[in-house]
Amino acid sequence: MPVRRALLFLAGVLMSVQDFTMMIVRSFRYLIFHFRMRESLFEMDRLGVGSIPIVFLANLFAGLDMALQFSVVMAPYGASNLLGRVVATSIIRDMGPVLASLVMSARVTAGITSELGMMATTQQIEALLVMGVDPVDRLIAPKILAGMVMLPALSVVGDLLGVLAGLMVAQLGAHVPAPLYWSGVRSALTLPNLVNGMLKPFVFGFILVAVGCFYGLRTTGGAQGVGRATTKAVVSAAIWILIANFMISKFLIDVWGWKL
Amino acid sequence: MIRLEKVTVAYGEQVVLDGIDLEVPTGKTMVILGESGSGKTTILKCVLGTLHPVSGRVLANDLEVGKLTDEELLRFRRRMGMVFQEGALFDSMTVGENVAFWLWEHTTLSDDKVEERVRMLLQFVGLESSIDQMPSDLSGGMRRRVAIARAMAAEDPAFMLYDEPTTGLDPFTSKSICDLMRRVQREFKSTNIVVTHDLTDAYRVGDLFTFIKDAKVIATGTRQEIEHSSDPFIRTFISLDS
Ligand SMILES: Nc1ncnc2c1ncn2[C@@H]1O[C@H](COP(=O)(O)OP(=O)(O)O)[C@@H](O)[C@H]1O
Ligand SMILES: [Mg+2]
Repeated sequence: MPVRRALLFLAGVLMSVQDFTMMIVRSFRYLIFHFRMRESLFEMDRLGVGSIPIVFLANLFAGLDMALQFSVVMAPYGASNLLGRVVATSIIRDMGPVLASLVMSARVTAGITSELGMMATTQQIEALLVMGVDPVDRLIAPKILAGMVMLPALSVVGDLLGVLAGLMVAQLGAHVPAPLYWSGVRSALTLPNLVNGMLKPFVFGFILVAVGCFYGLRTTGGAQGVGRATTKAVVSAAIWILIANFMISKFLIDVWGWKL
Repeated sequence: MIRLEKVTVAYGEQVVLDGIDLEVPTGKTMVILGESGSGKTTILKCVLGTLHPVSGRVLANDLEVGKLTDEELLRFRRRMGMVFQEGALFDSMTVGENVAFWLWEHTTLSDDKVEERVRMLLQFVGLESSIDQMPSDLSGGMRRRVAIARAMAAEDPAFMLYDEPTTGLDPFTSKSICDLMRRVQREFKSTNIVVTHDLTDAYRVGDLFTFIKDAKVIATGTRQEIEHSSDPFIRTFISLDS
């Protein structure tokens, strides 16, 4: 019996992976061959513009805190002159994209799953199919595109804010002069760092939308089901973002070696 | 004409329809009655072609639904209107946009032409003044009306399928929805399947009646034939209603 259960579980996982892959492949096919400008712009506006305040807040406080912690660690070694570089590097490479995506998953993934889940449980998805419109075409593809475009854009703005917050701490707390801080920041704007800083939000934006869509579309069981699906989606999006973060970091370090 | 021949549907190991035969002559309304969970919605899904039976075939005017390609299916569904339980209106769109949706997606009609058709359809169901309202602002009965208008948007319907169109409505609203269904049938000479568990409404719209129980058809016929049935389940169903 345990063997049978394990096999059934494995089969379920494989089916889910297949469904997910199919959804993604079809989304990209629609994005290429049946692009919807109106819907895509609408989703970008909804996903991106509405998220600016939370991404701002997250990066502001992350920048403040990081600069504070680093300056405490570095001051005894007389390394405060590196503060700008260290803060900018960690924000661009890791903290900026990861934080933005995690707070966005609470907003975007949850929003997408509950909206699609509601549509699924009230037969709106079926109604689309009956009217000859593929839900992946009309609903999913524009959202995925919006995630991949808007997350990098939001990350750039968020990074900038984080670095500025770091400057505040550097000036007021660590007594690092602004020019010194800025030259550190400039030295952190290397190609590996910038590629890292753009690739991550691009992938994370894809993950947080795709996961939300996947759980939303397969929702069953009324309002309760919508709640369950939403919780699951937000948790898995967060986990996958952290996994992807590590894998991208590892990959880029392998490509460029231990350069900063 | 819509005909189901020995249609069997199963979800996993649960057999939901077990060799169902059903025939709806052109221009007639067939009412399907049965308890909830007896497979009524599943029959509609087979007719729409969104669900493929394990065995058996579904015919609509000589077309075999299971054999249609995606393109043929789309063309077939242009002339088929489906009114979902609770309406299933797109709740992010206005009433007018819901009705216009099919035309936007599948035609290159100008905005004026689309609006003209939308207004005509909403007028037909008596809701022209609600064109800019959101579905969430409508009453249950109004939502069903919009759903009926949306189902007819593509072309004049040859087939109309209604899934519990009056469930959850008060008796007056129920009657007005039944009147509207009759009007659709008279106007377009459509062939209809109506799923319900309300006998009063069934008598209002139906020409023929089919009872489903335990995945099988237990009786089918005209009102008279049904009322004279000796089947205990049907006797109980009829007596419960009166
Ligand atoms: N997608 C599905 N997966 C598994 N079981 C289903 C599915 N859809 C319906 N069923 C089951 O099939 C039976 C018939 O469903 P349905 O046709 O919706 O009944 P009705 O419309 O008469 O209430 C029910 O027992 C239901 O639980
Ligand atoms: Mg049903």
